[in-house]
Amino acid sequence: MEHIIEVNSLAKSFGDKLALKDVDFRVRKGETIGFLGPSGSGKTTTIKILTAQLAATAGDVRVFGEPVHLLKDPARMKKIGILTDNSGLYDRLTVQDNLALYADLYDVGKERVREVLEMVSLLGEEKTPVKKLSKGMKQRVTLARAILHKPALLFLDEPTSALDPTTTKHIHEGLRELNREGTTIFLTTHDMDEAEALCDRVAFLHDGEIKLFDTPQNLRTMSGSPTISLLLKDKTTVTVEPNESGAAAIAGYMASGNLLTIHSNEPTLGDLFVQLTGRNL
Amino acid sequence: MMTTFSMKRVNAIFVKDWKDLQRNSYVLFTLALPLFFAAWLGRIGADSAEMISFPIVFALVIAGAFVQAAMVAEEKEKNTLRGLLLSPASVAEVFIGKSLLSGVMTLVVVAGCIWLAEFSVPSLPLFALSIVIALVIFLAIGTLLGLLSRTVMETSIIGMPVMLIFGMSSMFKSMITNEAILTVMDYLPNELLMNIWVGLESGADVGESFLILTVWAAVSVAATVIVYRKRRMD
Repeated sequence: MEHIIEVNSLAKSFGDKLALKDVDFRVRKGETIGFLGPSGSGKTTTIKILTAQLAATAGDVRVFGEPVHLLKDPARMKKIGILTDNSGLYDRLTVQDNLALYADLYDVGKERVREVLEMVSLLGEEKTPVKKLSKGMKQRVTLARAILHKPALLFLDEPTSALDPTTTKHIHEGLRELNREGTTIFLTTHDMDEAEALCDRVAFLHDGEIKLFDTPQNLRTMSGSPTISLLLKDKTTVTVEPNESGAAAIAGYMASGNLLTIHSNEPTLGDLFVQLTGRNL
Repeated sequence: MMTTFSMKRVNAIFVKDWKDLQRNSYVLFTLALPLFFAAWLGRIGADSAEMISFPIVFALVIAGAFVQAAMVAEEKEKNTLRGLLLSPASVAEVFIGKSLLSGVMTLVVVAGCIWLAEFSVPSLPLFALSIVIALVIFLAIGTLLGLLSRTVMETSIIGMPVMLIFGMSSMFKSMITNEAILTVMDYLPNELLMNIWVGLESGADVGESFLILTVWAAVSVAATVIVYRKRRMD
């Protein structure tokens, strides 16, 4: 299986503070990987090392099978897209001018600018100077810039942190489409819904260490057998086990016409994170 | 894989900077300053070599170093330099693209100063050569100042000694009596430029001044590259 990212025994320290400790993981081609963790857990540091913005203190980091420091070559840089929390825009220039610059740098046609603006719901804002946009709109421009050249590998640091739910949904659809077209996505977030919606596998990062790394489904089932809640028509709730007697109880309520809704009580990724680290995201 | 130099990427950065310059009142005002001085000196009929050369040297320092420093520092301050350096553009393409606009603007301002100050250009090819070498020196110093500053405002503070030493030291020379300081001052780019221009006018040998000026260019470019390499990573 082709690994786009390979990280072995990665460590990073800033002075006395160890930001990443013995981090190991692989990202397969075509996967969407999420790094989850609270502020200061090492998510952004990981992205900066993977994009050669920051040197590792120890360990081996390979992107596209080559040492990460070789990434600066233009041919290699064309294969990656980056959206970080501090991706800057030219305030005095228009949205179109900002994207046209990167279209030229990445050697892509200007018609692609329109496509990405549509994806981030900014069609019609081409002539607006960036300084007149809201924070969320600016974030959408930086996202448009990151995907302008349809990168093979896309790094997203908190991609929807400043966006409203409708735009977030629209962007998630666009990212899924990019992923279907073959883009491998590495994203950091503290939004569990985002991780569930987009990621094939997620890593829980806490104090610079990966605590768990698996599919969202496997992570949820790790915490034992979840129960099932039944909401009855008289507004009372009944909890049953997912076994034979539970199935009989559900069948009974359904037969009597007394059942309103059925809910799985499996833990959310957020619940699991708290169980594991004692900390909220 | 070979890193190839792309004029298309250099041009993209130049065009972006040109569009930005037209909306940047701080830089436009800074570029206009040497022209005001030149017009004033032209009107008062200054005739000493120092006074006549001053607007041209001042244009090189202000338009070459100060504007370049402000443009690089603003890219750093607003995190746009990071975006450029994470794109396929190489470091050389980014800094050449950025220097191109400052260079062109400096040449325009120098030409404007020559006309407004009624400076008579001695031996055009050698005068042009001296301006090109000076441009390399001041653009490199400007890039260096921009890399060392965190904000555009900071370039004004860090750049002030540069402006005083490289731009205006000739004007204070008559007030200085210390021989050692005067000797050091003779080797500053502005003094060398003045020696070259006066020498070209009088037919004196200007080879040594050209040579020292070229060493200045090499050293300032090297210093800028070293500082960039030290600061490119977080």
